[in-house]
Amino acid sequence: MKYALFLGCKIPSRLPAYELSTRAVLLRLGVTLVDLEFNCCGYPARNVSREAFVVAAARNLAIAERAGLDVLTPCTCCFGSLRHAISFLEEDPELRSRVSQALAVEGIAWSGKTEVEHLLPVLARTIGVDALGAAVRAPRAGLRVAAQYGCHALRPSNVARFDNPLAPTTFETLIRLTGATPVDWPRQLDCCGDPLHESNAPLSEHIARAKIADAKASGAEAMCTACPHCHLRFDSAQAGSPKPSIRSLLYTQLLGLAMGLDEKSLGLECPESPIRGR
Amino acid sequence: MALAATSVKKTMPHTLFHTALYASLALCVLGLLWRSSAWFRVRVGPDARAVTLSQRLGALLRGTATALFGARVLHILGACFLDVLLLRRLFAREKPRWLGHLLILAGFTLLLLMHAFEALVTVKLFPGYESTLAPYLFLRNLFGAMVVAGIALLYFERWRRRTGLVSVRRPMAAAFAVLLGFVLATGYLLEAHKIASPQAFYRMAKRYSGTTDPGELMPLRAVWASEFGVAFDDLKEPFASNVMERGRQMHDADCAGCHAKPASAFVSYPVSRLLAPVTALLDKGRADIWLLYLHVFACFLGLATLPFTRFFHAVAVPISLLVNASAPNRAFSAAGRASRRALALDACLRCGICDAHCSVAPLARHLGNPYLLPSHKLVATGALANGRLLRSGRESDGFRVAEGAFLCTDCGRCTNDCPAGLDLEDLWQAGRGDLAAAGLPAPAQWVRALPALAWAEALEAAAGQHTATDPDASCAPLSADRRSFSRCVQCQTCTNVCPVVAQSIAADHRVDLTPQKVMNLLRLGLRDLTLGSRMVWDCATCYQCQENCPEGLRVTDIMCELRALAAHRLGAVRSWKAPS
Repeated sequence: MKYALFLGCKIPSRLPAYELSTRAVLLRLGVTLVDLEFNCCGYPARNVSREAFVVAAARNLAIAERAGLDVLTPCTCCFGSLRHAISFLEEDPELRSRVSQALAVEGIAWSGKTEVEHLLPVLARTIGVDALGAAVRAPRAGLRVAAQYGCHALRPSNVARFDNPLAPTTFETLIRLTGATPVDWPRQLDCCGDPLHESNAPLSEHIARAKIADAKASGAEAMCTACPHCHLRFDSAQAGSPKPSIRSLLYTQLLGLAMGLDEKSLGLECPESPIRGR
Repeated sequence: MALAATSVKKTMPHTLFHTALYASLALCVLGLLWRSSAWFRVRVGPDARAVTLSQRLGALLRGTATALFGARVLHILGACFLDVLLLRRLFAREKPRWLGHLLILAGFTLLLLMHAFEALVTVKLFPGYESTLAPYLFLRNLFGAMVVAGIALLYFERWRRRTGLVSVRRPMAAAFAVLLGFVLATGYLLEAHKIASPQAFYRMAKRYSGTTDPGELMPLRAVWASEFGVAFDDLKEPFASNVMERGRQMHDADCAGCHAKPASAFVSYPVSRLLAPVTALLDKGRADIWLLYLHVFACFLGLATLPFTRFFHAVAVPISLLVNASAPNRAFSAAGRASRRALALDACLRCGICDAHCSVAPLARHLGNPYLLPSHKLVATGALANGRLLRSGRESDGFRVAEGAFLCTDCGRCTNDCPAGLDLEDLWQAGRGDLAAAGLPAPAQWVRALPALAWAEALEAAAGQHTATDPDASCAPLSADRRSFSRCVQCQTCTNVCPVVAQSIAADHRVDLTPQKVMNLLRLGLRDLTLGSRMVWDCATCYQCQENCPEGLRVTDIMCELRALAAHRLGAVRSWKAPS
């Protein structure tokens, strides 16, 4: 099993633990990850130009296609963005030809051969529950977590094709495999507030805090995340708050711990900003 | 007279040499003081405007003291060696460029020490030093060739790795390369000329054999003509073997002890072969004098203009690297950070490595806005801080710089990749603060300045005049197409599932419209009324509305489109004016 690993912008710069733990877990599970020089998934450009957004996304797909690989991303927003670009390209021939022209300048092309996968379904379906279950050596029994899918994994479901958008079960299944217990929480499918943080910070904080309070009231000890945006938003929404908060735990870290990997290789001691020279 | 090399002493009047030297040196020092004073004057970022000059100088003194006497002194020495001399950061990223740069650095430094400062350095270290002796003759050629090869390799790499992205203007880069090339060329030519010159031969013969008589020197001349390339126009090869024999004896007695074989000057010697036919002419015109003047004065010109050419990076980059080594970023005070940013503006070489790996480079290319690229952004950040960017009549520049600044994803690649170790992340953040202070924040912020209705009125008032190309077709196909919203039955499901509407109870983030009202305005043909609305700009793109719409309308996709459309259309009617 071999994928091009698409980390996006946020993971390398702000959440290196996600990269470390993803690599550690997938290495143990026999998945080969190839590093290509990708660019931004395109999401930030959606507010400026639909075409520029699709060009940026399609460039990544074309680079993976040239290498003959499917794309695996641990970032839910990048996943949504790349999948969205594919659906725009498929539905709009005129856009497709303009994008092709833009890519041709660099001698690359998008033909739709490359699939974009999010980490969670790859774990649950491609690697499979049985293989994962066999890899678990140290179940984290008794840990109660709130599974945070991230909006762009689930919706719009015809684009994401990830899980049932109203009653998803993938994440819960994966959490149970580690021995931990997923809690039921009413605000599970709500937004984490992150996309609004630049434009309307107070609103973003309100949305995040409402979710955190709900998870806590539902008995969760940690937010189990599979997207750097949700993960960092939950952490920063609680930073500086006087009350003890519930921490965010990356699913790859939870799984890695259950698989008996050591904390260091899962980035549990990782400094916040890994940018060299800072 | 300690500074002048032997050959200079013999050729150039002492006062002229020293006047020129000290004048260039004075200009260089004054220039350096002026340039480095900018590191304490220039203010990038709102926090930099809050600190005073004396605080910044205080931070400099404290920082220097801590660096010299603190625990990190070994760290700094290590950086001095690995980062400054061996260019570790460049090595980690682009090895061919590293090799090119190292060749220039090593060749130039060694030429400076061994050749330019020969009276100060080489003579003191090696008492038997003569510029004509092995291995100095060879080494001079080698060091010069290293610089030439390095420059060639850098230009080649630049060409090989061309990205097609607009590269930032590099004023004086070519002028500096030409000057450096000129110094090297005159140096090689001077040496080549002296190799072939009978005049130079007689000068040395007088000094070391005590005679200039052509007849007496005949055997020696024969050897130097046939084996060492002196272009005597009164001699014809072949020479009788006994003449050669006698010549070699004379050579061994008077020359060989102090003079390496000219052929060991592996660049100058071949050049001297080319010069041989015109050597008599050059001798007559005293080429040895004017080539030396050109060579020396080009060096002085380089010295005097050093602070204002590309050469200045040889000062700014090492300082930047050592400042990095002196303390971790978080340990810098606001005053220290302010100076560090100003230094970064000077230490950027415009090498373009950051641009080539920039995450948003494809967006820069497609949007035709180079200000998304780090090197352009750095120049713009400096221009903004110096008050040169926002001049009346250049409003569009301000908008484009702001677009670039706010589309940056802060992925940190530029900071990671920068061979000068600049903290570009910090610079971008500061630059965004400056843009916001100048009334150029992100669209999501400036749109809030007016309510949706006022924006719609502004659009109506400017209907005939605004010239921005209407991007409807490419950026807003859904909202321009009735079929994508006409099926809306106003059931309000979108509104009921919207997390933004749900949080809208608090007064500070109440939305003005609901998703269902936005759809209704589109149905009524009042799209302009939605462009500045809080609902459109506060949409979290969570896709609940789109997922749950019973008619399958793409509500969220339309919201995204409306924002892109608003950025263009409202941007064109904004009342922002550059300060005149």
